[in-house]
Amino acid sequence: MGCLIELKNVTKTFDDQQILKGIDLKIHENEFLTLLGPSGCGKTTTLRIIGGFEEPDSGEILFNGIEISKLPPYKREINTVFQKYALFPHLDVFGNVAFGLNIKKMEKSVIEQKVSKILELVGLSGFEKRDVMSLSGGQQQRVAIARALVNEPKVLLLDEPLGALDAKLRKDMQTELKKIQKEVGITFIYVTHDQEEALTMSDTVVVMNDGEIQQVGSAIDIYNEPENRFVASFIGDSNIIPGHMIKDCLVEWDGYEFDCVDKGFKENEEAEIVLRPEDIDIVAPEDAKINGTVKSVVFKGVHYEIIVETPDRDYMIHTTDFHQVGLFVGLTIEPEDIHVMYTMEWM
Amino acid sequence: MLKRLNKLPSYLYIALCFAFFYLPIIVTIIFSFNESKSLTHFTGFSLRWYGELIKNQDVMSAVYVSLSIAIIATAISTVLGTLTAIGLSNCRKILREWTLTVNDIPIMNPEIVTAIGLMLLFSSLKMEKGYLTMLLAHICFCTPYVITSVYPKVRELDKNIANAAMDLGATPYQALTKVIIPILKPGIFAGILLAFTMSIDDFVISYFVSGNGVMNISIIVYNMTKRVNPTINALSTLLILVIVIILLIVNLLPLINKKKSKVFNRILAGGFCLIFFFTAFSYFHSSTTKVLKVYNAGEYIDTELITKFEEEYNCSVVYETFDSNESMYTKLLSGEEYDIIIPSDYMIERLIKEDFLQEIDWSLIPNKDNLIPEIMDKSFDPGNKYTVPYFWGNVGILYDTTVVEEADLTGWEILRNPEYNGKIYMYDSERDSMMVALKALGYSMNTTNRNEIYQAYEWLLKQKELVDPIYVGDEVIDNMISGNKAMAVVYSGDASYIITENPNLDYFAPHEGTNMWYDAMVLTKFCEDTDLAHKFMNFMLDEENALLNTDTVGYAGYTTNDFEEMKNTTYQGVSAYEPRTGNEKDEIFGYQDSETKKYFSELWTKVKSH
Repeated sequence: MGCLIELKNVTKTFDDQQILKGIDLKIHENEFLTLLGPSGCGKTTTLRIIGGFEEPDSGEILFNGIEISKLPPYKREINTVFQKYALFPHLDVFGNVAFGLNIKKMEKSVIEQKVSKILELVGLSGFEKRDVMSLSGGQQQRVAIARALVNEPKVLLLDEPLGALDAKLRKDMQTELKKIQKEVGITFIYVTHDQEEALTMSDTVVVMNDGEIQQVGSAIDIYNEPENRFVASFIGDSNIIPGHMIKDCLVEWDGYEFDCVDKGFKENEEAEIVLRPEDIDIVAPEDAKINGTVKSVVFKGVHYEIIVETPDRDYMIHTTDFHQVGLFVGLTIEPEDIHVMYTMEWM
Repeated sequence: MLKRLNKLPSYLYIALCFAFFYLPIIVTIIFSFNESKSLTHFTGFSLRWYGELIKNQDVMSAVYVSLSIAIIATAISTVLGTLTAIGLSNCRKILREWTLTVNDIPIMNPEIVTAIGLMLLFSSLKMEKGYLTMLLAHICFCTPYVITSVYPKVRELDKNIANAAMDLGATPYQALTKVIIPILKPGIFAGILLAFTMSIDDFVISYFVSGNGVMNISIIVYNMTKRVNPTINALSTLLILVIVIILLIVNLLPLINKKKSKVFNRILAGGFCLIFFFTAFSYFHSSTTKVLKVYNAGEYIDTELITKFEEEYNCSVVYETFDSNESMYTKLLSGEEYDIIIPSDYMIERLIKEDFLQEIDWSLIPNKDNLIPEIMDKSFDPGNKYTVPYFWGNVGILYDTTVVEEADLTGWEILRNPEYNGKIYMYDSERDSMMVALKALGYSMNTTNRNEIYQAYEWLLKQKELVDPIYVGDEVIDNMISGNKAMAVVYSGDASYIITENPNLDYFAPHEGTNMWYDAMVLTKFCEDTDLAHKFMNFMLDEENALLNTDTVGYAGYTTNDFEEMKNTTYQGVSAYEPRTGNEKDEIFGYQDSETKKYFSELWTKVKSH
């Protein structure tokens, strides 16, 4: 997979507020890359800079190695699916999808063929003459995708495209989008604040906060090996505990020592330990180093969310087994499930 | 049953509403086909007024002016307003809100304020008033309406819509023309309709910012209403027809399928272009080298004479009309420059005093011998240094011979005879009514003696008590033709016309004296081509031309030939046609000082509101 787009130290300021503080990012061919982060983190601005709707204050954007940051959007081989779709209400479905092709003055028969092919891909065959404003949210979404894809761009930008849909439809569209991306075989750059959405669809997840990239990696890396407290807390639930690395593969917190798989820390360096709730097992008190009392049990559908109170702190545990409130229990963690992070200075 | 009964009032209400809205229009249409000049009696079907309309060069050029200004102003203000509305949506909130508030001001502002503002602006910029100033003014007052109707549509736009278009390969211009404007179409269309209607029926602003003979339909109609002229009805009917056609087009447009509508749009656009070029052509065509600017009262010349003069002397006459001597004077004060003006006696006196005029070179007017001696050498201009006489007449009482007893015709006192209670029209003008009272009391109508004036006021109050007269303007003409009242105070020229239409009427000028009035052509000091101006005045004194003019206007003629000719033909046996001469007590209005004028209007207001 070759590098298609490269952002080099891109910054952007709006009204004296620095939105992007130097973004470096490589986006590859055929990659499904997601920019993930809370609102105001700069993910949409990054996307708009790639699309050409904003100009960066400084930095470079290379497309196939060519600097494009001054290129207007209509000259980029990039198409966008906008947040609220921005469909053209004065045109029917066909007119919307054919818009880009008409601008390029393609032959009528070619346009008709391309439009009907793309409508088939998004499952809207037979909708050509429909008024776009009469369509459901999901259908409008598909028109927006078809309108962008019919131009055969090298990159498709999607700005929180599922934000306006209900939960069930979101799930369906997530699978659908992934399927479409595989079929057309182009790069998708996807912006969302929904971590589950990001983990489900992406090849690469870029976690952003406060105008900076926090971590880039596969969904599994991001989840299992968060590089800092922000990523750990933003992606899924976790128990984050301050402690020390005594030496390689040995970590200590609250006076307990545990074997782990992390290396490369200085001796006795302060660190933060991330324990995913589903990685903690509840066992008999005598079989574990950490003991505590079950404080609350909440049924979450597939699992129970159990809070266990110890003298030092509360632990959140996800398990399919039920435990009575008030029960005295022990907690065990496998060495490979203990993840140790550097303490961030800003925390 | 009950339900249906309940509906009856609502149907009735709707029927009344429709009657209220449409009756005036229906009346106008019916009377445009009237054979006679009456605005109240339908005497037979004829297309006479349509013929007159087409022949009337003034009206036709006003139609061109109105249409071309409306089209150009609508086009420009639509583009300006739409772009502003689109631009506003991308502005900072504060700027946007301020702009919208400021934009509302011209809409809420009384039109007269905008009109005066624009007039002053053009004057201070030393722009010559005419077509261009009227066009600019129309663009100026139409644009806010376009912004107001387009902006809400802009607000509804997805803020990414332009980005979406550009994302799909459209240049910013294409995004505007292929996406933004088509989406805003309903708003833009509403704006176009609003702007067009505002422009085509604007009177107040056009009246103030126009000049040099450029008149639109409203201005010319306003000037026409000063005298009964059914061509207005014909003109109004045609305008109604145009509006109906436009409405039909607007309402049928969505029914025509897309392909056809494209063709249709082209036809429409083509039509507009044609009108535009035609107008532009006729406008520029008329601008030849020598120009004479004439300012006259409305309906006070046979306009064919102007065309004839232009042809004969290869020049162009810019002909403008005013509705009263006072408004003419205001226009002069605002810096408007004319070569020849045709005002009345007292105003001439004022113009001479205030040095607005230059002397006439009588050696350049060989036709001077045609003039009637009786109208020469009058008090306002002894020796005719500044004036070349025009129409003249006096004021008297028009009465219905079948109602009024011959024996009662003693003098002005007949207007207070209780026997004619409720049967009298007085002229709604302070100076004319005070004249009646002053003359009845045996005083001079130009008196400045407060005591005499106060007595006249009391005379009028008493008259109100005794006979309860109705104060009317030019509608007296039509009402007397229909024989609605027994008596009316009228101008002799109007009287002779009314008598030809209703032979039951006769006219008499009381022996206590009355107002003799003389209008005359004067040469302003702004006139540079005095040679052409003298030629014009000489041309008007030509016997043949004078006859044509008197025949059209209907007042007492100013050359011996036309005066005698009319007396022996059209107005044979009509005593009103020949104004009385030789009565010692007859007077000419003099120029009133402002104190007296103020006192007159105070008392007159009191009389009317008593």
